[in-house]
Amino acid sequence: MENSEQIFVESSESQCGRWNPNSILGGVFSILALCFLYYVVPTHIELPYHMQHPLLSPQFLPQLAGWMVLVLSLLLMIDGLLKPPKREAADEYRRGVPVLRQVLMLVAGILYAVFFEQLGAIGSGVLATALLFLASGLRSVWVYALVIVFPVVVTLLFIHVLNVPLPAGTLWESLSLI
Amino acid sequence: MIKLMKSRVKSKIMWTLAAASLTCGGLAQADEWPTDNIRLVVPYSAGGTTDLLTRKVADLLQKELTTVVVENRPGAGSTVATGQLARGGRGSDHMLLMASPGHTIGASIYPNLRYDPVEDFTFVRNVINIPNVMVVPVVSPYNTVAEFIEGAREKELSFSSSGIGSSIHMSGELFKSMTKTNMVHVPFRGSGEALPALLSGDVDVSFENMPTVYPHIKSGKLKALAVTTAEASEFLPGVPTIREAGKGYGLEDFETSAWFGLIAHKSFPEEGIDKLQAALDKVMASEEFKNFLPQFGAEAGRVSGDEFRQFIESELQKWSAVAEDANLKR
Amino acid sequence: MENFSEVMALFLSVDNFLAIAAGVLVGVVVGAIPGLTATMAVALALPFTFSMEPVTAILLLVGIYKGGMYGGSITAILIRTPGSPASACTLLDGYPMAQQGNAKKALKTALYSSVVADMISNLALIFFASYLAKIALNFGPPEYFWLICFSLTIIVSVSGSSVIKGLIAASLGIILSTVGLDAVYGTQRLTFDNYNLMDRISFIPLLIGLFAIPEIIDFYMTRVAPHVRTAVAGASLSWKEFKGMLKTVVRGSFIGVIIGAIPGTGATTAAFISYSEAKRTSPRKDNFGKGEPEGVAAAEAGNNGVAGATLIPLLSLGIPGDVITAIILGAFMIHGLTPGPVLFQENLTLVYALFCGIMISSFVLVFVGNAAIRYFSIIADIPKTILLPIVLMFCIYGAYAVNNSTFDIGLMLAFGVLGFVFNRTGMAAAPFLIGFILGPMFEDNLRRTMLISKGDLSIFFRGPITWVFVLLTVASLAFAIRRYWVTRKEEALA
Repeated sequence: MENSEQIFVESSESQCGRWNPNSILGGVFSILALCFLYYVVPTHIELPYHMQHPLLSPQFLPQLAGWMVLVLSLLLMIDGLLKPPKREAADEYRRGVPVLRQVLMLVAGILYAVFFEQLGAIGSGVLATALLFLASGLRSVWVYALVIVFPVVVTLLFIHVLNVPLPAGTLWESLSLI
Repeated sequence: MIKLMKSRVKSKIMWTLAAASLTCGGLAQADEWPTDNIRLVVPYSAGGTTDLLTRKVADLLQKELTTVVVENRPGAGSTVATGQLARGGRGSDHMLLMASPGHTIGASIYPNLRYDPVEDFTFVRNVINIPNVMVVPVVSPYNTVAEFIEGAREKELSFSSSGIGSSIHMSGELFKSMTKTNMVHVPFRGSGEALPALLSGDVDVSFENMPTVYPHIKSGKLKALAVTTAEASEFLPGVPTIREAGKGYGLEDFETSAWFGLIAHKSFPEEGIDKLQAALDKVMASEEFKNFLPQFGAEAGRVSGDEFRQFIESELQKWSAVAEDANLKR
Repeated sequence: MENFSEVMALFLSVDNFLAIAAGVLVGVVVGAIPGLTATMAVALALPFTFSMEPVTAILLLVGIYKGGMYGGSITAILIRTPGSPASACTLLDGYPMAQQGNAKKALKTALYSSVVADMISNLALIFFASYLAKIALNFGPPEYFWLICFSLTIIVSVSGSSVIKGLIAASLGIILSTVGLDAVYGTQRLTFDNYNLMDRISFIPLLIGLFAIPEIIDFYMTRVAPHVRTAVAGASLSWKEFKGMLKTVVRGSFIGVIIGAIPGTGATTAAFISYSEAKRTSPRKDNFGKGEPEGVAAAEAGNNGVAGATLIPLLSLGIPGDVITAIILGAFMIHGLTPGPVLFQENLTLVYALFCGIMISSFVLVFVGNAAIRYFSIIADIPKTILLPIVLMFCIYGAYAVNNSTFDIGLMLAFGVLGFVFNRTGMAAAPFLIGFILGPMFEDNLRRTMLISKGDLSIFFRGPITWVFVLLTVASLAFAIRRYWVTRKEEALA
């Protein structure tokens, strides 16, 4: 994927009018920047008891960056309102994506993010890879052999060759002892 | 750090399973310690000084006992790994941690620590100590500690460190509070970044670790005013201790150093502690260890067991007071 | 002449050659594994060098360092997974090239640019070490401050289609870089009392999350496209093409050497400055970011120009410029050697033996690199349906391995979602990365300068070096603004 101008999937159906990606993005970011500057910075950046110079404040750089986001996103919004960007045709592959495909990806992501310690490197690797293969509708059996082979080989490589420890899975450890 | 997340997702069944496994694990432990490989945790990233020293010690230790696997678990000073050790759990009867000044300094400055730096641990042995050296740039007008203090009373001087909460920074803060001078702390990220500013005279003084500044003292780019340990160092003959050199300026009790020692969970098997201490004694008496120390300007650790615990307690007191003075306590 | 024979006696041993070859090979392979970096490889190899001869030990580590620098660009080009922050710049043009079926050409361009830059860097190390070290010593906080200001202006040239969006992304990167305990006062900044955030956001999860994961998310958010066979048969790089890029490569190498000689600035900055310069002077400006070989060449030259040069402050001053050289410094000390002026006085033969080995390592990189291209470019022919789940697995393992922490896995996936949103809204990830890297350096050096001068602002203009970088910053900004207006006018006319 290139970082070139791309359009929201939703808006690609409609004409690029006042509410185009630029004006929406600018609006959202300016609201976020205001929240950041007036709520997050004062409440979540502690100030020290004694400061030699205002430029030394822990809040200085976050505030500077926050103001930059605010001003720039207002500019972006105005730019979008006055001069809507040209609409680009969305990729044909983006339409009509089976919901199951996206759900399976989400589940695989959650498996890794939440259950990595419990399932262990091999366990979560096998499960998530299998789910992602299913999501693409892979049929041949030999491909699913990879699902087992790869996580096992890679985990062993990390642990024994590279000396990088990976979790074995607390779930299996406690089961095996009963 | 993982425990928090874990407890949220683990169902009650999981807890029962875990409990069952723990009891089974306890029963199975009739054999002599060690029944498993020893895991030695470095609470800092791979490649740092602590890591380097630990790996060498581990290398020597496994010749005496059993396989020692070194693991790096950096994060929030050293408090993430230390917190994990404090919580114990499976495998903690074979887990050691290489503690360093971060253990006591971290406890003095990090907010709401979830462990007690003394009560939650068993203290095995202090293995290595590295002195800090009070150094000034060669362009500095000060040649002794006394001159420096007089200078610091006339105008505001600055001291550099490898980062807030490092033993280098805290030594400077201790110096400040003992001599009642007012110096500005200029933090860098690591000694490597701090060195150029010190060499060029942008900052006035530093209480750097011996190995970092030793080559520059030898080549005449830095002047060593004093060593921060209670006894003079054999590496810098003729350089006084800060206690001697700062007599009359409130520095009579000044002592800091970068110490490294092995600690374990509080319920570590006693048999294991004895075996470890015996093995460490052998390691520290070995020629290889003795030849290794001078590369880091280091000395063999002195205290072990209860004495080590008392040392930690006194360090903790010292740094808490300094942190309080320097407004670092969160 | 007896010195020469001493040097050769020290250098010409089977062990040394084996160490260099093994080092480069390990570096390339580890660097090419998503989530594993050259830094990690060097750190993990260190204990193995305890029992080696000093020269052998250090050559092994240097070999890994150099191999890792190149290895990182292989995955950056093939699967958009930068092995190191510096190769995030290589990816800007390398990945589009691979997608267009020119993977082989991109990899070869990267390899030969790396090797040329590496040699120039080595020569600088051997012949100008003492001179460049003097520059390094004159770099105090105010000089760094202006160098960082100048580096920040490169954001404009990597912003993609919209400069405003690029600047927003950079500002967001800066905000995220301030998470953690404050460097001067130790107060909490945006940590929300979470322990995992106190040491700032880990770099590797952010890097992989921002670049590799969005590709994977995007793949599963679209229907399966038929697999296009591309790479292995793709065209290679001809000497004529490379000759056309040589000017860019040499310029990039020099940028790398200067940045590398100044400790603490790093390969990433060098790669992006080199890239930005190449884009500024290229007649094909508009093709940058869309698969321009010269972009790959510039990035890799800048990146590898640093490798030899970071050894300059290390060897001549004993000052490590980055984490890897800090580890190599440790290796020196383990073997009872102290880098710095003393090393040149007491162990000159050893220094020259090291130089020989370092030169040889560049040639070894050509062979290992070519072999690596042959085997790794097979990756480009694996259908994405099979490749991406496995890439994801590597990324997850790698992110975990950095700190042994599952928090980093969550962090990486979160940045993946952010990167995906960036892609879909036309925001570029590169400015975000630059903001994240340079933000803290900007702040640190601003604050150090203020602390040293006790609030006196005149220190910012204290010498010739500060003025040079002030002028460069202003010129770079002026150029960017002019170019912005010209393009706007062209757009308005069209």
